Amino acid sequence: MNDRNSPLLSVRNLTIHYITDDGIVRAVNDISFDLEKGKTLGLVGETGAGKTTTALGIMNLVPDPPGKIISGQILVNGKDILKFKKNELKKYRGKVASMVLQDPMTALNPLITVGEQIAEVLRLHDKLSRADSYIKAAQMLELVGIPSDRINDYPHEFSGGMKQRVVIAIALACNPQLLIADEPTTALDVTIQAQVLSLIRDLIKKYGTSMILITHDLGVVTEICDEVAIMYAGQIVEKGDLEAVYEHTGHPYTRGLFGSLPSLAVKAHRLNPIEGLMPDPTDLPKGCAFHPRCPDKMPECVSRTPVVIETEPGHFVRCLLYE
Amino acid sequence: MAKKKKGQLLQIWRRLKKNPLSMLGMAILVILVLTAVFADFIAPYPYDLQNYGAAKQFPSKAHPFGTDNYGRDIFSRVVYGTRVSLQIGFISLTVGALIGTVLGTLSGYFGGRTDTVIMRFTDILMSIPKVVLAIAVASTLGPGLVNAMIAVAISSIPSFARVARASTLTVRDQEYIEAAKVIGAGNFRIIFRHILPNILAPIIVQATLGVGISIILAASLSFLGLGVEPPTPEWGAMLSAARTFIRDEWYMVLFPGLAIMLTVLALNLLGDGLRDALDPKLKA
Repeated sequence: MNDRNSPLLSVRNLTIHYITDDGIVRAVNDISFDLEKGKTLGLVGETGAGKTTTALGIMNLVPDPPGKIISGQILVNGKDILKFKKNELKKYRGKVASMVLQDPMTALNPLITVGEQIAEVLRLHDKLSRADSYIKAAQMLELVGIPSDRINDYPHEFSGGMKQRVVIAIALACNPQLLIADEPTTALDVTIQAQVLSLIRDLIKKYGTSMILITHDLGVVTEICDEVAIMYAGQIVEKGDLEAVYEHTGHPYTRGLFGSLPSLAVKAHRLNPIEGLMPDPTDLPKGCAFHPRCPDKMPECVSRTPVVIETEPGHFVRCLLYE
Repeated sequence: MAKKKKGQLLQIWRRLKKNPLSMLGMAILVILVLTAVFADFIAPYPYDLQNYGAAKQFPSKAHPFGTDNYGRDIFSRVVYGTRVSLQIGFISLTVGALIGTVLGTLSGYFGGRTDTVIMRFTDILMSIPKVVLAIAVASTLGPGLVNAMIAVAISSIPSFARVARASTLTVRDQEYIEAAKVIGAGNFRIIFRHILPNILAPIIVQATLGVGISIILAASLSFLGLGVEPPTPEWGAMLSAARTFIRDEWYMVLFPGLAIMLTVLALNLLGDGLRDALDPKLKA
């Protein structure tokens, strides 16, 4: 294995495009980040910022066609999973890295009992016998707070929050090193969101799992994550420790995001949303992709593409203001 | 550990039991199958026993369905015909459904070039009317029971392929298929374990209608001399043979016709009930 300091996951210059008849959708543009063992990274951005595509890239599940991983490396434990063969990928998915999908309502096969769906992944990877896989599945159900006597129930017999718990149980059944949670609470109501989030937090702490949490909720990030990366138009515009990004916000877009949050301390009649909309990913603006909406726009921003600058140790910003 | 450890089949059976019409259909079908199996014991006469002295007799105690123009007992022939017709209907349809469903599922799941090749192939099959296609196959292979089954099976492939492909396309993009990929399931596993069970309902409906169509198709082939050869009793062939006598000896066409109708009706009732019972989402 690798030495202790090397990160579990290292994404290097990843670029993913969707090649469609209407043009090339530049979903992910040259992003790089590391994730250490046991750490949690929050991936924040608007709809269409490329968060889910990044996640699918890490699972090597970008739908092809139309998706194409143009360039870059995704190193997990030092091995580039983009070069994995079919068999290696099968062993990688579910065992090394697993994923919780957005919508628990459709993420379970309606014709198979929840117990069987948990047991399936255990049999696939841990080569358990049928009986053993059911025993383990029952334990997983208890672990996510569902009575194990419901092991033979079908997904439609569960509520949305409980389905998401089942999905989490499936994702964690084989004790993966990396968990990708793609907006795990978006489809749930607020009280259930809190329960599911604390469940995820407790479980990954217990098993030392690293996690990438995809969300557009900055509040959720503060509750769970160690680090946060802000994505805009397929790029990471700012990344750093939670404290660094929240306290010394660098990028104008991140500031805009915080500005559009309601605050208990400051009384405001109106929130301050970021003007304008996300650019069309088939036709990204020249220079910095954020310049049409940026309050701190400089003349250079239109022509020159910013590079990533380390403003303080471990805090990276991609903005010309700091160059 | 588990409070209700019951098999999936048992649950489907319980749901099916709640539907009286499908239970009726099932009862009829069971009777038909038993009739086919025990034809030797039920039929009072051999199906090919000719008795010119008692030709074209009206239904009576000795011949409950009457006799045909050769003096053969129609009841016995209908009973033996159950065997032939059910055989042709079920075997040919099963073969056609299996091939069609697998082709359609592969086509829908993989898309791209696989899809193009398979679907253009079924388009070609579909562009030829079923009867004409069956006639073409049967006349190439020659008459006979087995060849008739092959002909009927081939002509039922495209409809299953289309239904399976359409359903696969909707299921393929469901999140639980992506979830299956995420846990490291291979294509084979995803197709047979996650997609096929989920597209079974429309295929079952297609199959129940298909058996009836297959029985009728086989009958048409027999009528043209390309299917089952006489004296083997087959309902459709009996119908065709008796059609010249429909004016005066109507009972000669009535009973084989009723047998076909009853079989198709039973299959449809059962199929509808099965569709509801197989879908746990509809479970009350």
